[in-house]
Amino acid sequence: MEAVQQRGFRNVYKGGQCTGFQIAYRSRYYRGIWLSLSKGFRVLVDGEQFPREAITVTIAGTTYTQDEMTKIGHVQWQKNEPAILTIAKPGGLKRGVHKVTVNWSHRVSYVGTIPGDPEQTPPAEVGGRGATGFAGAFGGGNCTRDLVLVR
Amino acid sequence: MKITRKEFLQTAAVVAGAIALPDKNFAASSAAQQGLDEGFPASERKGPKRGVSIYSYANEYGVSATLEDCFAELSDLATPGTKMGLEVLANSHIDGYPNPTNAWVDNWHKMLEKYDILPVEYGHWVDSKLYAESPEGSLSTKESVEMLATDIKLASRLGFTRGRTKVGMLDMGGTPVKNWREIIKAALPVAEKHNFRMLTEFHLPTPLKGPVMDEYMDFITKENCNPWFALNIDFSVFQTKMPPGFGGGASMGSRAFGDMKMPASQPEDMIPLMPYIHCCHAKFSDITDDCEETTIPYAAVLKVLVDHGYNGYMMSEYEGMDKLQGGAWSAVRKQHVMMKRILGEA
Repeated sequence: MEAVQQRGFRNVYKGGQCTGFQIAYRSRYYRGIWLSLSKGFRVLVDGEQFPREAITVTIAGTTYTQDEMTKIGHVQWQKNEPAILTIAKPGGLKRGVHKVTVNWSHRVSYVGTIPGDPEQTPPAEVGGRGATGFAGAFGGGNCTRDLVLVR
Repeated sequence: MKITRKEFLQTAAVVAGAIALPDKNFAASSAAQQGLDEGFPASERKGPKRGVSIYSYANEYGVSATLEDCFAELSDLATPGTKMGLEVLANSHIDGYPNPTNAWVDNWHKMLEKYDILPVEYGHWVDSKLYAESPEGSLSTKESVEMLATDIKLASRLGFTRGRTKVGMLDMGGTPVKNWREIIKAALPVAEKHNFRMLTEFHLPTPLKGPVMDEYMDFITKENCNPWFALNIDFSVFQTKMPPGFGGGASMGSRAFGDMKMPASQPEDMIPLMPYIHCCHAKFSDITDDCEETTIPYAAVLKVLVDHGYNGYMMSEYEGMDKLQGGAWSAVRKQHVMMKRILGEA
């Protein structure tokens, strides 16, 4: 299964204005996680890097900023539920094919700590491992796909 | 995304460096061995029994297979008239974890009955890194105990009698967080009340003889808390080599291959520990079409379990190289052919 989902890739509108776009992302880690274990999502589309602050995350119908997620240790992102990433971009994306990369990582409590491992997910990168020390071995890292935007 | 969990752990062992192995034994108490109630139904037969951790189907579950598909598969592995043992991972396989709906729980019990499955082991974690990368000071003892209690109660509601209980680790060698004794001690009454054995898992590269085992056994004997806190042995500790094709290309694994101490332990190392072992992970990585595991000496491992009165379950845990390419279904079936052959099951 690819982490980045084709379905759910769309522009979002507020008051008739296109304010950005959404990507549905399914975790490839073998279990669900408490929200605060996420080190964050980073997104790259057609070479454009979006900062952490431009990305909110909707899980089970509730939308969080990535900073808010770091403090919530009692809500689970269920294993089989896509997280909906909403990326702020006035005007959104054009219809058609886009090269989309999402980088995601999370903390794993039972394997110790790699010295210098960053607390936050680094920028997304096509072809890069991108993950912090552990994420590549536990379902995280960069996932790049050609996604087709219809609306 | 090319590095598997196993590759990572094996590399990690090298990072952690060589582990000193003091040759210390723990005298087995024959009284404990004979008198221990494993918590299984009275109808359960003696000796090692087969089960499956549906973690084995991690690549299929939620993608091409439902939980019921996994139950149906387990049922297909059972010898008619016997129950197949089940292990789930708490926040993989329970919809709505940690608060599943009553309807979900009702359906769970109906499926156990329909497929004649015995819930045996519940895999759960104390996520010590909940708020920071350092497991020290990120999660208080109180919060850790609450996390354990939540899982124990949920596991019990689902019919599980033991858990693979994982506290946070300080390194890749299996050294637990410094406050693990306080955490476990506070959870012991909850565990006993709910007939739930908290089992700490020994997994490659942590050997059965060494400082980590010494630390746990010191606690278990001082607190006299067997079986409520005791051991799960993962057969990876007996692994003699990497599976074929492991660590291909420029992965971390290929560099780790030569440095890994394998096997970490010998099957006989389980003998003095036997009264404390209340579940095993039947880890495997490479099984041939003749149903032989090429990296773990299953016949020797199972002989020790049979000869020394092990009455618990062995939960299949597949971590082969083709796991992400759909290999798990047939691999687990082959492994059960092998275990039936070794156990002499009809």
